Amino acid sequence: MTGYWPKGYDRIILDEVDSTMSEAARRVALIDRPTWIMARRQTEGRGRRGRVWADTPGNLSATLVFRPAATPAEAARRSFLAANALFEALSLYVDRSKLACKWPNDVLLNEGKVAGILLESAGRGGAFVDYLSIGFGVNLRHAPPPAPGTPFTPVSVLGEGGEAVAPEVFLTTLAGAYATQEAKLELLGFARIREDWLRHAARLGEEITARTGTEAVSGIFDTIDEEGNLVLITGTGRRTIAAADVYF
Amino acid sequence: MTEKPSHDSDVSFIRALAELLRENELTELEVMREYGDDDSLNVRISRQTQIVQQVAAAPVAHQVAMPAAAPAAAPAAAADPESHPGTVKSQMVGTVYLQAEPGKPAFVSVGQTVAEGDTLLIIEAMKTMNQIASPRAGTVKRILVGDSQPVEYGTPLVIIE
Repeated sequence: MTGYWPKGYDRIILDEVDSTMSEAARRVALIDRPTWIMARRQTEGRGRRGRVWADTPGNLSATLVFRPAATPAEAARRSFLAANALFEALSLYVDRSKLACKWPNDVLLNEGKVAGILLESAGRGGAFVDYLSIGFGVNLRHAPPPAPGTPFTPVSVLGEGGEAVAPEVFLTTLAGAYATQEAKLELLGFARIREDWLRHAARLGEEITARTGTEAVSGIFDTIDEEGNLVLITGTGRRTIAAADVYF
Repeated sequence: MTEKPSHDSDVSFIRALAELLRENELTELEVMREYGDDDSLNVRISRQTQIVQQVAAAPVAHQVAMPAAAPAAAPAAAADPESHPGTVKSQMVGTVYLQAEPGKPAFVSVGQTVAEGDTLLIIEAMKTMNQIASPRAGTVKRILVGDSQPVEYGTPLVIIE
């Protein structure tokens, strides 16, 4: 798996860029097939809602940009394909049993934050999105210092006893794993993606808290539904949540 | 990426078409989606519309009494974002953000002119930030949602005229 670049995907490797997500948005009009953009250095790496993504040499910063024939809701489900792909790619370099998925797209290593995934799509009200970008930041070599208020300690693959792997090599592994996820989606449907994800889900059947923009909902993590929404059993009944940060 | 969508994606596709049908006040829509040489999905959606009763057609003898209820209903319909032709509606379930990130200015404000393709707001679902672009050039007449508000399929978001 490690040595083969998936067919049908392009790859661009840059020495330095502001952010691979911004670069993807700039290049999207020019691409004619799904394209991975990797940067050896990001000067303005970003996470969700403007959070800074600390960039350190030796870690992976890459974005996959493509034009899926997908409605906005289908595009959002790529979160789980991305998480599954990252889980599988990481499992080649660290003990698989130490990895877990946190809804919707975090992959934890020894309960620490080893990576971040950010998805951005854009549309003009048509049935399908214009494009989708999936950004991956993976702490292969270095864990950034913990930011105040973050409940999951940053960790790195190397720091947790995993193998040393160069970003370019990891990119190939990840790109292959992601292509496999797209093939599974195509052939077997989202039900299969969901099953794979649930198999690796952290705290299934246990109490977790989902913080939405307006409230914090605590309950038993029951499942994710067929659209990928988080399902919690709370004191007042079953709650289905489309957007939130999960804590435990 | 050309891919053969799954059953799930077919269902979502049909749902999106149904939404288009409703938004554009169409009665019928037929689309064929080609997956390969021998494989396609043919969708035809139609909608029953009620025949609008013509008040003018009422018998002449009762003309004075008859139309009393009609004018009262008309302004209410015009103000209803659901039926306003300039309303941009949500195509997904998620959370609305009016700025690119906390502390930044809002993408748009009421009275502002926008070009086609300008970002109006973001809807987040499953950590996917979906930028909603203006489908046409115009003026922002109303913003119908608040920051961090949860929205459903079809929730009116913004009116562009």
